[in-house]
Amino acid sequence: MIEPDETPHHDADGIDRRGFLECMSWAGTGLLWSVSAGIPAALTMAKAAAAAPATTPFSFVQISDSHLGFKRPANTDVVATLQAAIARVKALPVKPAFMIHTGDISHLSHADEFDAADQLIGEAGLPVFYVPGEHDVLDADKGKAYLDRYGKGSQGSGWYSFDHSGVHYIALVNVQNIGEGGLGRIGRDQLDWLAKDVSGLSSETPIVVFAHIPLWMVYPSWGWGTDDGGQALDVLKRFGSLTVLNGHIHQVMQKVEGNVSFHTARSTAFAQPAPGTAPTPGPMVVPAGTLRQHLGIAEVNFVRGSEPLAIVDTPLGA
Amino acid sequence: MPAIHRGLAPATAFFALALTSGLVGPSSAAALEGNAERGKEIYHACEDCHTIDDNDVGPKHRGVVGRRAGSVPDYAYSPELKSSGIIWTEQALNRWLQNPQAMVPGTRMAFQLEDPQARADVIAFLKQYAKIEK
Repeated sequence: MIEPDETPHHDADGIDRRGFLECMSWAGTGLLWSVSAGIPAALTMAKAAAAAPATTPFSFVQISDSHLGFKRPANTDVVATLQAAIARVKALPVKPAFMIHTGDISHLSHADEFDAADQLIGEAGLPVFYVPGEHDVLDADKGKAYLDRYGKGSQGSGWYSFDHSGVHYIALVNVQNIGEGGLGRIGRDQLDWLAKDVSGLSSETPIVVFAHIPLWMVYPSWGWGTDDGGQALDVLKRFGSLTVLNGHIHQVMQKVEGNVSFHTARSTAFAQPAPGTAPTPGPMVVPAGTLRQHLGIAEVNFVRGSEPLAIVDTPLGA
Repeated sequence: MPAIHRGLAPATAFFALALTSGLVGPSSAAALEGNAERGKEIYHACEDCHTIDDNDVGPKHRGVVGRRAGSVPDYAYSPELKSSGIIWTEQALNRWLQNPQAMVPGTRMAFQLEDPQARADVIAFLKQYAKIEK
Protein backbone atom coordinates (compact mmCIF):
# COMPACT_ATOMS: atom_id res chain seq x y z
CA MET A 1 0.00 0.00 0.00
CA ILE A 2 1.26 3.46 -0.78
CA GLU A 3 2.05 5.86 2.00
CA PRO A 4 1.58 9.30 0.45
CA ASP A 5 3.77 11.11 2.93
CA GLU A 6 6.59 8.66 2.62
CA THR A 7 10.04 10.17 2.65
CA PRO A 8 11.41 10.06 -0.88
CA HIS A 9 14.06 7.49 -1.48
CA HIS A 10 15.25 5.24 -4.22
CA ASP A 11 14.16 1.68 -3.88
CA ALA A 12 16.26 -1.17 -5.13
CA ASP A 13 14.51 -0.87 -8.45
CA GLY A 14 15.64 2.72 -8.83
CA ILE A 15 12.21 4.21 -8.41
CA ASP A 16 12.03 7.52 -6.64
CA ARG A 17 8.99 7.16 -4.46
CA ARG A 18 8.09 10.81 -4.35
CA GLY A 19 8.38 11.08 -8.11
CA PHE A 20 6.19 8.05 -8.47
CA LEU A 21 3.57 9.40 -6.12
CA GLU A 22 3.52 12.73 -7.85
CA CYS A 23 3.05 10.93 -11.09
CA MET A 24 0.04 9.16 -9.76
CA SER A 25 -1.91 12.35 -9.48
CA TRP A 26 -1.69 12.88 -13.21
CA ALA A 27 -3.97 11.44 -15.79
CA GLY A 28 -2.90 10.82 -19.31
CA THR A 29 -3.58 9.39 -22.67
CA GLY A 30 -2.26 5.93 -23.27
CA LEU A 31 0.68 3.62 -23.16
CA LEU A 32 2.48 1.90 -25.94
CA TRP A 33 3.57 -1.60 -25.08
CA SER A 34 6.37 -3.16 -27.05
CA VAL A 35 7.02 -6.86 -26.93
CA SER A 36 10.58 -7.93 -27.40
CA ALA A 37 11.65 -11.51 -26.83
CA GLY A 38 8.30 -12.08 -25.22
CA ILE A 39 8.74 -9.41 -22.58
CA PRO A 40 6.25 -6.54 -22.67
CA ALA A 41 7.71 -3.16 -21.86
CA ALA A 42 5.75 0.04 -21.56
CA LEU A 43 6.79 3.26 -23.21
CA THR A 44 5.10 6.56 -22.69
CA MET A 45 3.81 8.17 -25.83
CA ALA A 46 6.65 10.67 -25.79
CA LYS A 47 9.29 8.00 -25.53
CA ALA A 48 7.50 5.88 -28.09
CA ALA A 49 7.48 8.77 -30.52
CA ALA A 50 11.21 9.16 -30.05
CA ALA A 51 11.99 5.46 -30.26
CA ALA A 52 13.71 4.10 -33.32
CA PRO A 53 11.16 2.03 -35.21
CA ALA A 54 13.47 -0.95 -35.51
CA THR A 55 13.63 -1.36 -31.74
CA THR A 56 9.96 -2.25 -31.40
CA PRO A 57 9.29 -5.30 -33.51
CA PHE A 58 5.77 -5.49 -32.15
CA SER A 59 3.68 -3.17 -30.06
CA PHE A 60 0.20 -2.49 -28.81
CA VAL A 61 -1.49 0.40 -27.10
CA GLN A 62 -3.50 0.52 -23.90
CA ILE A 63 -6.05 3.20 -23.23
CA SER A 64 -8.58 3.25 -20.42
CA ASP A 65 -11.43 4.95 -18.61
CA SER A 66 -12.77 7.15 -21.37
CA HIS A 67 -16.11 7.75 -19.60
CA LEU A 68 -17.97 9.01 -22.65
CA GLY A 69 -20.99 10.84 -21.30
CA PHE A 70 -19.22 12.26 -18.25
CA LYS A 71 -20.00 15.96 -18.00
CA ARG A 72 -18.90 17.06 -14.55
CA PRO A 73 -16.39 19.78 -13.76
CA ALA A 74 -13.45 17.38 -13.62
CA ASN A 75 -13.72 17.30 -17.42
CA THR A 76 -16.63 18.76 -19.33
CA ASP A 77 -15.28 17.57 -22.69
CA VAL A 78 -14.25 13.94 -22.51
CA VAL A 79 -14.72 13.70 -26.27
CA ALA A 80 -11.90 16.14 -26.86
CA THR A 81 -9.52 14.38 -24.51
CA LEU A 82 -10.24 10.98 -26.03
CA GLN A 83 -9.64 12.54 -29.44
CA ALA A 84 -6.30 13.80 -28.17
CA ALA A 85 -5.39 10.32 -26.98
CA ILE A 86 -6.32 8.77 -30.31
CA ALA A 87 -4.38 11.45 -32.15
CA ARG A 88 -1.31 10.41 -30.20
CA VAL A 89 -1.87 6.79 -31.11
CA LYS A 90 -2.16 7.71 -34.77
CA ALA A 91 1.03 9.75 -34.59
CA LEU A 92 3.17 6.86 -33.41
CA PRO A 93 6.05 6.21 -35.81
CA VAL A 94 5.33 2.50 -35.88
CA LYS A 95 1.73 1.45 -36.16
CA PRO A 96 0.75 -0.70 -33.17
CA ALA A 97 -0.73 -4.10 -33.94
CA PHE A 98 -3.82 -3.42 -31.85
CA MET A 99 -5.22 -1.48 -28.94
CA ILE A 100 -6.74 -2.65 -25.68
CA HIS A 101 -9.25 -0.62 -23.74
CA THR A 102 -9.36 -1.53 -20.07
CA GLY A 103 -12.90 -0.43 -19.40
CA ASP A 104 -15.21 2.40 -18.47
CA ILE A 105 -15.65 3.12 -22.13
CA SER A 106 -18.90 4.85 -21.22
CA HIS A 107 -20.00 6.67 -18.11
CA LEU A 108 -23.56 5.37 -17.83
CA SER A 109 -23.72 2.49 -20.34
CA HIS A 110 -25.96 4.50 -22.65
CA ALA A 111 -26.02 3.53 -26.32
CA ASP A 112 -25.09 7.02 -27.47
CA GLU A 113 -22.06 6.96 -25.19
CA PHE A 114 -20.86 3.67 -26.65
CA ASP A 115 -21.57 5.02 -30.13
CA ALA A 116 -19.43 8.08 -29.52
CA ALA A 117 -16.60 6.00 -28.08
CA ASP A 118 -16.68 3.59 -31.02
CA GLN A 119 -16.50 6.43 -33.49
CA LEU A 120 -13.60 8.15 -31.76
CA ILE A 121 -11.60 5.02 -30.98
CA GLY A 122 -12.27 3.68 -34.47
CA GLU A 123 -10.36 6.61 -35.91
CA ALA A 124 -7.16 4.95 -34.76
CA GLY A 125 -7.69 2.32 -37.43
CA LEU A 126 -6.63 -0.51 -35.13
CA PRO A 127 -8.30 -3.67 -33.89
CA VAL A 128 -9.49 -2.99 -30.35
CA PHE A 129 -9.88 -5.51 -27.54
CA TYR A 130 -12.16 -4.43 -24.72
CA VAL A 131 -13.01 -5.40 -21.18
CA PRO A 132 -15.89 -3.72 -19.36
CA GLY A 133 -15.60 -1.33 -16.47
CA GLU A 134 -18.36 -1.07 -13.90
CA HIS A 135 -19.65 1.98 -15.75
CA ASP A 136 -20.19 -0.21 -18.82
CA VAL A 137 -22.60 -2.57 -17.08
CA LEU A 138 -25.00 -0.06 -15.54
CA ASP A 139 -27.90 -0.94 -17.82
CA ALA A 140 -30.89 -2.66 -16.26
CA ASP A 141 -29.71 -5.97 -17.72
CA LYS A 142 -26.32 -5.57 -16.04
CA GLY A 143 -24.07 -5.65 -19.04
CA LYS A 144 -26.23 -6.85 -21.92
CA ALA A 145 -25.64 -3.57 -23.76
CA TYR A 146 -21.89 -4.09 -23.46
CA LEU A 147 -22.03 -7.73 -24.50
CA ASP A 148 -24.26 -7.03 -27.48
CA ARG A 149 -21.70 -4.57 -28.75
CA TYR A 150 -18.33 -5.95 -27.65
CA GLY A 151 -18.93 -9.48 -26.49
CA LYS A 152 -18.86 -11.44 -29.72
CA GLY A 153 -16.85 -14.60 -29.19
CA SER A 154 -16.52 -14.04 -25.45
CA GLN A 155 -17.80 -16.17 -22.64
CA GLY A 156 -19.84 -15.44 -19.54
CA SER A 157 -19.92 -11.72 -18.82
CA GLY A 158 -17.36 -11.02 -21.54
CA TRP A 159 -14.11 -12.83 -20.80
CA TYR A 160 -11.91 -14.28 -23.55
CA SER A 161 -8.33 -14.89 -24.63
CA PHE A 162 -6.31 -14.62 -27.81
CA ASP A 163 -2.78 -15.07 -29.06
CA HIS A 164 -0.59 -12.65 -30.93
CA SER A 165 3.07 -12.98 -31.87
CA GLY A 166 3.74 -15.66 -29.31
CA VAL A 167 2.05 -13.88 -26.41
CA HIS A 168 -1.16 -15.17 -24.82
CA TYR A 169 -3.60 -12.41 -23.86
CA ILE A 170 -6.36 -12.97 -21.32
CA ALA A 171 -9.24 -10.51 -20.93
CA LEU A 172 -10.95 -10.84 -17.56
CA VAL A 173 -14.15 -9.26 -16.27
CA ASN A 174 -14.08 -8.23 -12.62
CA VAL A 175 -16.87 -5.65 -12.51
CA GLN A 176 -19.87 -7.92 -12.12
CA ASN A 177 -21.06 -8.66 -8.60
CA ILE A 178 -18.82 -6.04 -7.08
CA GLY A 179 -18.55 -6.91 -3.43
CA GLU A 180 -19.04 -4.99 -0.24
CA GLY A 181 -16.54 -2.19 -0.11
CA GLY A 182 -16.40 -1.98 -3.87
CA LEU A 183 -13.72 -4.57 -4.56
CA GLY A 184 -13.76 -6.25 -7.92
CA ARG A 185 -14.66 -9.90 -8.24
CA ILE A 186 -13.77 -12.45 -10.90
CA GLY A 187 -15.98 -15.29 -9.73
CA ARG A 188 -15.70 -19.05 -9.74
CA ASP A 189 -16.96 -19.65 -13.29
CA GLN A 190 -14.36 -17.32 -14.76
CA LEU A 191 -11.58 -18.71 -12.57
CA ASP A 192 -12.44 -22.22 -13.73
CA TRP A 193 -12.38 -21.03 -17.33
CA LEU A 194 -9.02 -19.35 -16.75
CA ALA A 195 -7.47 -22.56 -15.45
CA LYS A 196 -8.67 -24.44 -18.54
CA ASP A 197 -7.61 -21.65 -20.88
CA VAL A 198 -3.97 -21.83 -19.87
CA SER A 199 -3.77 -25.54 -19.10
CA GLY A 200 -2.20 -26.43 -22.44
CA LEU A 201 0.31 -23.59 -22.54
CA SER A 202 4.01 -23.93 -21.93
CA SER A 203 5.21 -22.09 -18.84
CA GLU A 204 7.51 -20.17 -21.15
CA THR A 205 4.57 -18.55 -22.91
CA PRO A 206 4.43 -14.85 -22.04
CA ILE A 207 1.06 -13.97 -20.55
CA VAL A 208 -0.67 -10.59 -20.59
CA VAL A 209 -3.81 -10.30 -18.46
CA PHE A 210 -6.02 -7.27 -18.67
CA ALA A 211 -9.08 -6.32 -16.64
CA HIS A 212 -10.64 -3.11 -15.43
CA ILE A 213 -10.20 -3.07 -11.65
CA PRO A 214 -6.65 -3.76 -10.49
CA LEU A 215 -6.15 -7.44 -9.72
CA TRP A 216 -3.82 -6.52 -6.88
CA MET A 217 -4.80 -4.67 -3.73
CA VAL A 218 -3.85 -1.12 -4.59
CA TYR A 219 -5.97 0.52 -1.90
CA PRO A 220 -8.73 -1.75 -0.57
CA SER A 221 -10.49 0.87 1.53
CA TRP A 222 -11.33 2.68 -1.70
CA GLY A 223 -12.32 -0.54 -3.44
CA TRP A 224 -9.15 -0.46 -5.51
CA GLY A 225 -8.44 -4.15 -5.78
CA THR A 226 -10.04 -7.48 -6.65
CA ASP A 227 -11.05 -9.73 -3.79
CA ASP A 228 -10.33 -12.97 -5.65
CA GLY A 229 -7.53 -11.56 -7.81
CA GLY A 230 -5.05 -13.67 -5.88
CA GLN A 231 -6.80 -16.82 -7.05
CA ALA A 232 -6.33 -15.80 -10.67
CA LEU A 233 -2.68 -15.06 -10.06
CA ASP A 234 -2.25 -18.46 -8.42
CA VAL A 235 -3.49 -20.07 -11.62
CA LEU A 236 -0.92 -18.10 -13.59
CA LYS A 237 2.06 -18.20 -11.24
CA ARG A 238 3.87 -20.96 -13.17
CA PHE A 239 4.38 -18.68 -16.14
CA GLY A 240 7.77 -17.05 -16.46
CA SER A 241 6.45 -13.72 -17.70
CA LEU A 242 3.12 -12.39 -16.50
CA THR A 243 2.01 -8.81 -17.13
CA VAL A 244 -1.23 -7.52 -15.57
CA LEU A 245 -2.77 -4.39 -17.09
CA ASN A 246 -5.63 -2.55 -15.41
CA GLY A 247 -7.42 0.79 -15.35
CA HIS A 248 -10.09 2.05 -12.95
CA ILE A 249 -7.93 4.22 -10.71
CA HIS A 250 -7.05 6.80 -13.38
CA GLN A 251 -3.38 6.97 -12.55
CA VAL A 252 -0.18 5.09 -13.17
CA MET A 253 0.88 2.62 -10.57
CA GLN A 254 3.18 -0.30 -11.02
CA LYS A 255 4.34 -3.12 -8.85
CA VAL A 256 6.65 -5.99 -9.60
CA GLU A 257 6.56 -9.27 -7.71
CA GLY A 258 8.85 -11.96 -9.02
CA ASN A 259 7.82 -12.70 -12.57
CA VAL A 260 4.64 -10.64 -12.29
CA SER A 261 4.43 -7.02 -13.35
CA PHE A 262 1.29 -5.07 -12.45
CA HIS A 263 0.46 -1.83 -14.17
CA THR A 264 -2.50 0.53 -14.04
CA ALA A 265 -3.15 2.99 -16.84
CA ARG A 266 -4.23 6.58 -16.87
CA SER A 267 -7.67 7.71 -17.89
CA THR A 268 -8.43 9.61 -21.04
CA ALA A 269 -11.18 11.47 -19.15
CA PHE A 270 -10.30 12.78 -15.71
CA ALA A 271 -7.93 12.44 -12.81
CA GLN A 272 -8.53 10.79 -9.48
CA PRO A 273 -6.68 11.48 -6.24
CA ALA A 274 -3.72 9.39 -5.23
CA PRO A 275 -4.62 6.80 -2.59
CA GLY A 276 -5.17 8.35 0.80
CA THR A 277 -4.76 11.94 -0.35
CA ALA A 278 -8.50 12.70 -0.32
CA PRO A 279 -11.44 11.57 1.80
CA THR A 280 -12.81 9.59 -1.12
CA PRO A 281 -11.86 8.55 -4.62
CA GLY A 282 -13.69 10.10 -7.52
CA PRO A 283 -13.33 12.68 -10.26
CA MET A 284 -10.76 15.27 -9.26
CA VAL A 285 -11.12 18.84 -10.40
CA VAL A 286 -7.76 20.29 -11.38
CA PRO A 287 -6.89 23.98 -11.52
CA ALA A 288 -8.55 25.94 -14.29
CA GLY A 289 -6.63 25.85 -17.52
CA THR A 290 -4.53 22.83 -16.62
CA LEU A 291 -6.86 20.01 -17.55
CA ARG A 292 -5.07 19.11 -20.77
CA GLN A 293 -1.81 19.04 -18.91
CA HIS A 294 -3.23 16.66 -16.41
CA LEU A 295 -4.90 14.54 -19.03
CA GLY A 296 -1.94 13.85 -21.12
CA ILE A 297 -0.06 16.25 -23.22
CA ALA A 298 1.87 17.88 -20.44
CA GLU A 299 1.83 14.62 -18.57
CA VAL A 300 3.98 13.27 -21.34
CA ASN A 301 6.43 16.12 -20.81
CA PHE A 302 6.52 15.26 -17.16
CA VAL A 303 7.30 11.68 -17.93
CA ARG A 304 9.95 12.67 -20.44
CA GLY A 305 11.87 14.38 -17.70
CA SER A 306 11.31 11.69 -15.13
CA GLU A 307 13.40 8.60 -15.58
CA PRO A 308 11.87 6.89 -12.53
CA LEU A 309 8.52 6.50 -14.26
CA ALA A 310 10.21 5.08 -17.31
CA ILE A 311 11.81 2.52 -15.04
CA VAL A 312 8.47 1.84 -13.40
CA ASP A 313 6.97 1.22 -16.76
CA THR A 314 9.47 -1.37 -17.71
CA PRO A 315 8.04 -4.73 -16.61
CA LEU A 316 10.24 -7.42 -15.19
CA GLY A 317 10.18 -11.10 -15.71
CA ALA A 318 13.44 -10.63 -17.55
CA MET B 1 -13.13 13.86 8.18
CA PRO B 2 -15.28 10.83 7.71
CA ALA B 3 -13.75 7.70 6.38
CA ILE B 4 -15.69 6.09 3.64
CA HIS B 5 -16.26 2.65 2.27
CA ARG B 6 -16.88 2.74 -1.40
CA GLY B 7 -19.79 1.10 -3.00
CA LEU B 8 -20.16 1.66 -6.71
CA ALA B 9 -17.36 2.55 -9.01
CA PRO B 10 -14.42 4.49 -7.71
CA ALA B 11 -14.32 6.66 -10.71
CA THR B 12 -17.69 7.10 -9.28
CA ALA B 13 -18.23 5.56 -6.00
CA PHE B 14 -18.57 2.02 -4.90
CA PHE B 15 -16.96 1.97 -1.45
CA ALA B 16 -17.53 2.76 2.21
CA LEU B 17 -17.16 5.58 4.65
CA ALA B 18 -16.19 4.83 8.21
CA LEU B 19 -16.63 7.96 10.25
CA THR B 20 -14.70 8.29 13.43
CA SER B 21 -17.17 9.72 15.85
CA GLY B 22 -16.61 6.76 18.13
CA LEU B 23 -20.19 5.70 17.84
CA VAL B 24 -20.70 2.13 16.86
CA GLY B 25 -23.82 0.10 16.52
CA PRO B 26 -25.30 -0.72 13.24
CA SER B 27 -28.93 0.10 13.55
CA SER B 28 -28.98 2.93 16.02
CA ALA B 29 -28.81 5.79 13.52
CA ALA B 30 -32.54 6.01 13.02
CA ALA B 31 -32.89 6.83 16.67
CA LEU B 32 -30.22 9.53 16.53
CA GLU B 33 -30.98 13.12 15.76
CA GLY B 34 -29.43 14.06 12.47
CA ASN B 35 -27.68 17.32 11.72
CA ALA B 36 -28.55 18.39 8.18
CA GLU B 37 -25.63 20.79 7.88
CA ARG B 38 -23.15 18.09 8.84
CA GLY B 39 -25.00 15.76 6.52
CA LYS B 40 -24.50 18.22 3.69
CA GLU B 41 -20.75 17.88 4.12
CA ILE B 42 -20.87 14.12 4.37
CA TYR B 43 -23.08 13.99 1.28
CA HIS B 44 -20.12 15.09 -0.84
CA ALA B 45 -19.00 11.47 -0.61
CA CYS B 46 -22.26 10.47 -2.31
CA GLU B 47 -21.82 12.91 -5.16
CA ASP B 48 -19.60 10.71 -7.26
CA CYS B 49 -22.76 8.81 -8.12
CA HIS B 50 -25.69 10.94 -7.02
CA THR B 51 -26.99 14.46 -7.27
CA ILE B 52 -30.17 15.95 -5.93
CA ASP B 53 -31.75 16.71 -9.29
CA ASP B 54 -30.13 14.55 -11.98
CA ASN B 55 -29.89 10.86 -12.57
CA ASP B 56 -26.25 9.86 -12.87
CA VAL B 57 -24.57 6.63 -11.87
CA GLY B 58 -27.24 6.54 -9.19
CA PRO B 59 -30.76 7.96 -9.29
CA LYS B 60 -31.49 11.55 -8.31
CA HIS B 61 -32.25 12.19 -4.67
CA ARG B 62 -34.94 14.83 -4.98
CA GLY B 63 -37.85 13.45 -2.99
CA VAL B 64 -36.07 10.28 -1.96
CA VAL B 65 -37.39 10.24 1.61
CA GLY B 66 -40.72 8.48 1.46
CA ARG B 67 -40.27 7.37 -2.15
CA ARG B 68 -40.70 3.80 -3.36
CA ALA B 69 -37.39 2.20 -4.37
CA GLY B 70 -36.94 1.84 -8.10
CA SER B 71 -39.49 4.49 -9.01
CA VAL B 72 -37.46 7.34 -10.52
CA PRO B 73 -38.26 7.64 -14.23
CA ASP B 74 -35.47 7.22 -16.77
CA TYR B 75 -33.09 5.52 -14.40
CA ALA B 76 -31.96 1.94 -15.10
CA TYR B 77 -32.31 0.25 -11.73
CA SER B 78 -31.04 -3.22 -11.06
CA PRO B 79 -33.90 -5.72 -11.18
CA GLU B 80 -33.24 -6.55 -7.54
CA LEU B 81 -33.80 -3.01 -6.30
CA LYS B 82 -36.65 -2.30 -8.66
CA SER B 83 -38.58 -5.29 -7.36
CA SER B 84 -37.61 -4.84 -3.72
CA GLY B 85 -40.81 -3.11 -2.64
CA ILE B 86 -38.83 -0.88 -0.29
CA ILE B 87 -40.23 2.47 0.79
CA TRP B 88 -37.42 4.85 1.68
CA THR B 89 -38.42 5.67 5.21
CA GLU B 90 -35.74 7.02 7.51
CA GLN B 91 -35.39 3.56 8.99
CA ALA B 92 -35.03 1.97 5.57
CA LEU B 93 -32.47 4.55 4.48
CA ASN B 94 -30.52 3.88 7.64
CA ARG B 95 -30.34 0.17 6.88
CA TRP B 96 -29.50 0.88 3.25
CA LEU B 97 -26.65 3.27 4.00
CA GLN B 98 -25.23 0.85 6.50
CA ASN B 99 -24.89 -1.94 3.93
CA PRO B 100 -26.97 -1.80 0.76
CA GLN B 101 -25.85 -5.16 -0.53
CA ALA B 102 -26.90 -6.87 2.68
CA MET B 103 -30.31 -5.22 2.43
CA VAL B 104 -30.82 -5.91 -1.29
CA PRO B 105 -28.40 -8.55 -2.58
CA GLY B 106 -27.56 -7.89 -6.20
CA THR B 107 -27.95 -4.15 -6.03
CA ARG B 108 -25.15 -2.15 -7.60
CA MET B 109 -24.49 0.19 -4.72
CA ALA B 110 -21.77 -0.93 -2.37
CA PHE B 111 -21.17 2.39 -0.65
CA GLN B 112 -21.38 2.01 3.12
CA LEU B 113 -21.66 4.66 5.75
CA GLU B 114 -20.56 2.94 8.92
CA ASP B 115 -21.07 5.65 11.54
CA PRO B 116 -24.70 5.76 12.79
CA GLN B 117 -24.47 9.48 13.45
CA ALA B 118 -23.21 10.09 9.92
CA ARG B 119 -26.12 8.13 8.52
CA ALA B 120 -28.53 10.15 10.63
CA ASP B 121 -26.91 13.34 9.41
CA VAL B 122 -27.14 12.37 5.75
CA ILE B 123 -30.76 11.35 6.16
CA ALA B 124 -31.47 14.69 7.83
CA PHE B 125 -29.77 16.42 4.90
CA LEU B 126 -31.87 14.49 2.39
CA LYS B 127 -35.04 15.35 4.30
CA GLN B 128 -34.19 19.02 4.37
CA TYR B 129 -32.45 19.61 1.05
CA ALA B 130 -34.01 16.99 -1.19
CA LYS B 131 -37.65 17.74 -0.59
CA ILE B 132 -39.94 17.40 -3.57
CA GLU B 133 -40.66 21.11 -3.45
CA LYS B 134 -37.74 23.25 -4.51
